[in-house]
Amino acid sequence: MLWYKAWLETRWRFTFLIGSILVVWLMLLWLPSLSSVPASRQWVGLQLGSVLLYMFAAIYLAGGGINSQTLYAVTSGFHGSMLFTLSLPVSRRRLLFVRAGLGAILTCSLVVCMAGYILFRRAEPVGALQSLADIARAVVCTMAVYALSVLLACVLDEMWQFMGACLIWFAVFLLGSRFAPVARFSPIRGMSLSSHPHSSATPWAAVITSAAVCVIFTCSSILILRRKEY
Amino acid sequence: MNDLVIATQGLSKSYNGKPALRGLDLEVPRGAIYGFLGRNGAGKTTTLKLLLGMLRRDAGEIWLLNAPIRSEMDSVAARRRIAFVTEEKELYPFMNVGQMIRFTRPFFPTWRPELEKKYLDVFRLPLNLSVSKLSKGMRTQLMLLLAMARGAELLIMDEPTSGLDPVATEEVLQALADLAAGGNATIFFSSHQLTEVEQICDRVCVIDDGKTVIDGVLDDLKSQYRRVVLVFDGEPPQSVASLPGVDHLRRRGRTVSLLAHTDIDGVVDRARELAPVSVEVHAVSLKELFLDHVRGE
Repeated sequence: MLWYKAWLETRWRFTFLIGSILVVWLMLLWLPSLSSVPASRQWVGLQLGSVLLYMFAAIYLAGGGINSQTLYAVTSGFHGSMLFTLSLPVSRRRLLFVRAGLGAILTCSLVVCMAGYILFRRAEPVGALQSLADIARAVVCTMAVYALSVLLACVLDEMWQFMGACLIWFAVFLLGSRFAPVARFSPIRGMSLSSHPHSSATPWAAVITSAAVCVIFTCSSILILRRKEY
Repeated sequence: MNDLVIATQGLSKSYNGKPALRGLDLEVPRGAIYGFLGRNGAGKTTTLKLLLGMLRRDAGEIWLLNAPIRSEMDSVAARRRIAFVTEEKELYPFMNVGQMIRFTRPFFPTWRPELEKKYLDVFRLPLNLSVSKLSKGMRTQLMLLLAMARGAELLIMDEPTSGLDPVATEEVLQALADLAAGGNATIFFSSHQLTEVEQICDRVCVIDDGKTVIDGVLDDLKSQYRRVVLVFDGEPPQSVASLPGVDHLRRRGRTVSLLAHTDIDGVVDRARELAPVSVEVHAVSLKELFLDHVRGE
């Protein structure tokens, strides 16, 4: 039943994301001026748009539900429905596992669909194995963004979680654009698919960093939630 | 700890160095309707949250249903047999009444469908109505339904009747009394409503500043305590403050009110030696007991 509750908590966020993607996609299809843009620039635009979408989905789907607190609730010392949840015979680790797990599944499904679509649109065909590797890379790196958002959701109210996550990743992006070593390890780099028109080498440093970040932030979230007082 | 549903020893908790509980000792026997009283900030909600593992204690021991609570798993196991009604009565606004029931039911193997049906009828809760559209009274009733139908051995309630109109309050109190009378459920509830506590509780505990100041069977307390009212024809003598056997004393002009629970006759005799113009001995209500102990002089 916790999965059912998590779905009810998340479904409108997920629906909003799907709706937004569809609207943007339809707009792009109907824009007549896009056909005059060179394919290579279209590809870069698609990559940039998809990375932004992955990050937004990861941050947005991680918010809400973990603490079930509104700003009003926090400032006035109330904890919303969280006290009811905590009175159930369920460990906090399981609560986090289910809520964050469902968000992770939904985020991954969005990334897989978008990455698959982008690969389908790629001008030069690549092998199925390469496509799968590209999608897996995008998923792992997006999960780093998701894990940080979950961690922030464990300590901050929803609004601050969203703003905090956006700020952190914006800073990572800026630092990555200035300093090559940061870019090498940045999950943002790993999220974009192979460059057009020739495939570049897999950014292993970014993928390994993302996986490590994911594990560290998930463990930290569990520790924080287990010690948190309500 | 035989037959004690809740027991605490030396339970302490501070918030940012400010003590909320200072070595609280509680003993709640099985089957009791136990009123847990105190002023705002006395430590009632902190105690309930410590019992349910929502807060971490600084010191002390907790036993629930005869088992020590030393880890999260101990708390989870105890919560299978416990129901909690929160002060704010917040439930999931994205569910309706039926969904809330279907969500809660599987967590409790001892769920009692007949009680679910009974309280749905008694409280007239529509299954399809969203929780976000329920009034506070209806949310309270839904929370009570979820608490009572789970077949819990212990119901912990934080201000269960706050925000209810008199009719709804009466329905809730009646439901609680029925539940306690019908089985081995123990009800532990914190409240500011002393008349309600007096109406249904058989035991009470009053805490003040994080410590127990009164604890016992309500009828015993009321029969033990007496108020001795002395009226003087002028300013009351200072020696009245040092009368032996007096628990609490209040002065108002020429009148001095003493609260005592042991050797009442001795207190009256010693008070007469101060030459008051009148001495009266009265029985005390829970409200008087409460006010004297938490206000003092």
